[in-house]
Amino acid sequence: MSAIETAPARISWTASETAPSISEDWLSVIIGLFIFVLALAALANIDLIGWAVTTSVWSNLGEALGTASKSYAPLGGVGALLATYAALLGVLSAAAVALKADVQKFALAFTAVFAIAYASWVVGRDANFAAVTPAELQKFGISWSLRLTNEGGFVFALIAGLIVANVFPRFAETIKEAVRPELYIKIAIVILGGFFAVTAAGKLNLATSLLLRGVAAIIEAYLIYWAVVYFVARKWFGFNREWAAPLASGISICGVSAAIATGGAIRARPIVPVLVSSLVVVFAVIEVLILPFLAQTFLWREPLVAGAWIGLAVKTDGAAVAGGGITESLILAKSAAEGVKYQPGWILGTTATVKVFIDVFIGIWAFVLGYIWTNHINATSDKAKISEIWQRFPKFILGFVLTFLIGLYLALATPADVAAKVPAAIGEANTFRVIFFILTFFSIGVLSNFKKLWQEGIGKLAAVYVISLFGFVIWVGLLISWLFFAGVKPPLAG
Amino acid sequence: MSQTDIGTELRQAAPEPLLPVEKKLIGFSLGTGLVLLVALALLNYFMPATF
Repeated sequence: MSAIETAPARISWTASETAPSISEDWLSVIIGLFIFVLALAALANIDLIGWAVTTSVWSNLGEALGTASKSYAPLGGVGALLATYAALLGVLSAAAVALKADVQKFALAFTAVFAIAYASWVVGRDANFAAVTPAELQKFGISWSLRLTNEGGFVFALIAGLIVANVFPRFAETIKEAVRPELYIKIAIVILGGFFAVTAAGKLNLATSLLLRGVAAIIEAYLIYWAVVYFVARKWFGFNREWAAPLASGISICGVSAAIATGGAIRARPIVPVLVSSLVVVFAVIEVLILPFLAQTFLWREPLVAGAWIGLAVKTDGAAVAGGGITESLILAKSAAEGVKYQPGWILGTTATVKVFIDVFIGIWAFVLGYIWTNHINATSDKAKISEIWQRFPKFILGFVLTFLIGLYLALATPADVAAKVPAAIGEANTFRVIFFILTFFSIGVLSNFKKLWQEGIGKLAAVYVISLFGFVIWVGLLISWLFFAGVKPPLAG
Repeated sequence: MSQTDIGTELRQAAPEPLLPVEKKLIGFSLGTGLVLLVALALLNYFMPATF
């Protein structure tokens, strides 16, 4: 997010970089749009990215991997995997050059990150983990399954990252150059815009209703959550303003980016938002491991309530949107087992909409806080400037909106023969969206070194987080989600 | 400041009472937020989602 580039300090994974010529935020827009445009060549019957690797649920490992498009089937699963790795290595190494990172170190680190993350994804698609329905159990010739669904592999990638961080911290340090969850998830969100457009095109009225309801998320995050968490941190826990404001933003708004934007706005020392951000990531991991399964158990009859809830409760874009993906998969599986088959994309779309709506206002909120702090609390000559709103605006949202509008135009305003090809074309781009989700999950895990965080002595910060998150944020988020999304069901499939 | 000093800093930090401007920020945020949420809830009630 732009907040990161303008912050006084960077998260540890960018420590070796010096004054990059372009931010991760803009790079995510460029890479996401690049993949999106390549995918759209399929509308002119030119399949440029059909070689991307996909993984099916498997009981025979040899049949797990395949290509996104049948026209590249002769490449084979392993060939597709190698081609995808090589392509991503090339594109992301170019991004590393732009970020003035050590490209050789990045390439080696990315190789390890991709290998472990994708291997975790493949393991997660073992039928004994992923198969859900009795028909699937029969199809794969197995008698039991953990029923983690197709997206259970994300959890495996997250756990793999947690193991690396907490059991092999030196290895985690070695690969940190390629552990970039913010970059990966922003690219995924840019691609997601097009995917959501294709989903929304079929039910435009419903999509518009969802957008209108996203406004409630903004009010909740900025005006309700922030005020309460700030009060709790200041009054109950005795934090000073320098710690309380970034902490309130981290817990209430959009995790890492909000904490860093607020830290910069109130002129806090760099260490403050960095430590708050570390805390945000750790708690996001805990939430992603728990909330989707709670949503499946208690909210499967209200899928969009579940989607909105995940968007409101899980902080950091990566964890929230990826958590929405897991929630969608779990709820669709549960609903299908009960005989209701919803169209995919709506739950994830709701989570992403809620998150994007919240993100849009980070710059404005940071400016408001900056204005109050530099004029009324710590009066200084370094006043908050109106230009900071744009500086802190998360640019990847522009990419999301652009792919959404282009996707919507192509699906609704082009001749029928062109419009018919749009879902398949954007589906190929979506293959990369899934891969970037996998990289995000693994990276978030790698950044979550519980022991190190505890040694830094931030137990008191964690206490505010626990009380605010589990005592307030989650429940109010559920109430608001229920209030605005209950009874709004995704369209039925087919 | 080293990161290991953070725990000590947080434990030993001198108390900073809430300033009037902070109280105003909290109160204004909560008040505005609740009013807007009620308005949106009413809007949602009278204009339910269309399928």
